[in-house]
Amino acid sequence: MTASFEIIAFSISAFVAVAGALGMATTMSMFRSGIFLMASFIGVAGLFILLAADLMGVLQIMMYIGGFLVMILFMIMVMHDPGGAMMAGMDMSLIERWFSKGLVPRAPPDGNDDGQMHHRGHKQANSARKQHAQENGRDPEKRGPGHHGGKGGSGMQAGGASHGGMDMGGMDMSMVTPVRPIAAWLAGAVGLLLVGMLVLRPNWRFVEALPDPDSARRVGHLLMEKYMIAFEGAGFLILIGIFGSVLLARPSSYPDESSRAARVAVDAGPEPIRDEGLRPLAEQSPASALRSDRRHSDEHGA
Amino acid sequence: MGVITTAAVVLIALLAGAALTAVLERVFVRAGWEAGPAQTADIRHDLEIANSDRWLLPAGPLVALAGVSLATIVVPFGPGLVGRDLGIGVFYVIVVIDFVVLGIALAGWAANTTDSIEACYRIIAQLAAYVVPLGFAYVGVIMMAGSLSTVAIVGAQHDLWFVIVQPLGFVLYIVTGLMQSCRAPFLEPFAASIGGGVIGVSAGWSALLWRFVLSGVLFLVAAIGAVLYLGGPNGPLLPGWAWMLIKSYGLMALMLGLGRCVRPLSTAQMLALSWKVFIPLGLLNVLLVGVLILLGTGPSRP
Repeated sequence: MTASFEIIAFSISAFVAVAGALGMATTMSMFRSGIFLMASFIGVAGLFILLAADLMGVLQIMMYIGGFLVMILFMIMVMHDPGGAMMAGMDMSLIERWFSKGLVPRAPPDGNDDGQMHHRGHKQANSARKQHAQENGRDPEKRGPGHHGGKGGSGMQAGGASHGGMDMGGMDMSMVTPVRPIAAWLAGAVGLLLVGMLVLRPNWRFVEALPDPDSARRVGHLLMEKYMIAFEGAGFLILIGIFGSVLLARPSSYPDESSRAARVAVDAGPEPIRDEGLRPLAEQSPASALRSDRRHSDEHGA
Repeated sequence: MGVITTAAVVLIALLAGAALTAVLERVFVRAGWEAGPAQTADIRHDLEIANSDRWLLPAGPLVALAGVSLATIVVPFGPGLVGRDLGIGVFYVIVVIDFVVLGIALAGWAANTTDSIEACYRIIAQLAAYVVPLGFAYVGVIMMAGSLSTVAIVGAQHDLWFVIVQPLGFVLYIVTGLMQSCRAPFLEPFAASIGGGVIGVSAGWSALLWRFVLSGVLFLVAAIGAVLYLGGPNGPLLPGWAWMLIKSYGLMALMLGLGRCVRPLSTAQMLALSWKVFIPLGLLNVLLVGVLILLGTGPSRP
């Protein structure tokens, strides 16, 4: 019972850790990338808990949920395409397509007229297919790999016929960089090395002692007694870091009075969120982004 | 047997919390001020959102529900009526409730409307606001009880409830608990001005699940508050589980009623309140509790 449970728990945690890391590296959406990395670390936390280091595991979950959500916010602030809407329509390898499933591709905002005509044609095709798919009760976004390249590429290709499986006309917009095969080989080699180290195990010492069930108390005593100087020193350094960032972010740290006034004005009346001009490919009315599926009530009304 | 009891306790607790929240939402209504997370979502129909991320959107409520259910495991509902008495009990609760924030952020981003992404930003800001003062509200109790286990904390309050010794910590807990459960003064992520946030873009089973999760979080916060400050299931005459439920629901009513007496705060005001007032208060509370422990107040220590 316990042994088989351990094997199952280990498999799930290890799978989540590895698949999360793979998804992090291959998905087109930066937001998803952050979430995948979080999932990977939560899988590692599961491994910690399996090793009876529950405090470490829970600490890991706390750090990565809170820290990564804030990190994702900063990433959204500086990224050009955090949702992967533009990248999702591009030529992707199988694994990238798998981890980017469900992303809705959009045309980039600088599409010319030709692209827009194309765009409209796609709109109709898209809505028609959606209708068809709804009749069949299928996921409307499910489509063959051939259709994929043509869909999002329509906006940036000037007048090219959008057939499946085309190349990007000299523009290498895919995520495949020349370094990637080398990185993949390197990762494989490191993985092989680790597995080899496990198989050809050196003479590790086995101890019969059971782990302390109240490990938090033990860790707390170590932190507050033996390693107190290092612990408090780290806390002090972080405090100095917080002071520094607060000082830098203050409006009064601006070099002259006019830029400070501008900053204060922005704080007082923040600029409203503008539409970024990305046109959705999926059919929708501009007034409301939501479309309630009221087929039942319509039927009753009729 | 243990598994069945745990599941039944989790289910009963969530159901009772949901029912009582529904009652309270009708009693504590005050004209002009928002009552709480909007209850306007349509449970009977499904909602199809164009351009939503079809994988992350259903993951949101499921992740949030997982957080609530996992946290309920360590709540002692009576002598011996606890899912699992973990050695890191209350720390585990702090960590696992973060999954609710993760779920709201996931669903908000994945719905891909302006309002829901605003809700995603606001809930992350709320996390950054409440986590540190919430930790301080727990730390005073943990210092006095000398343990992280919920059962040990309840045992330490056999003679004297911690609310009498640490009134400041109790106030801190009520305020941060309201932030954590997104109730009256701190309901920016679910405000009506952004269409109810993630509730506005959910319908059908996900709306039902959101309602369940938000009620469950409120109940959980109240139950943990009863364990930390009101002595948990300790009490004369009535059985333990009855005392626990009375204390939880009493604390829940107190929190909701006090929250309704304050004008709803914006996210920026909440952050300012949290970092400028409640973190210093939390540090002061830790200092006071340390002095009290040195003076010999509280449970006899080993």
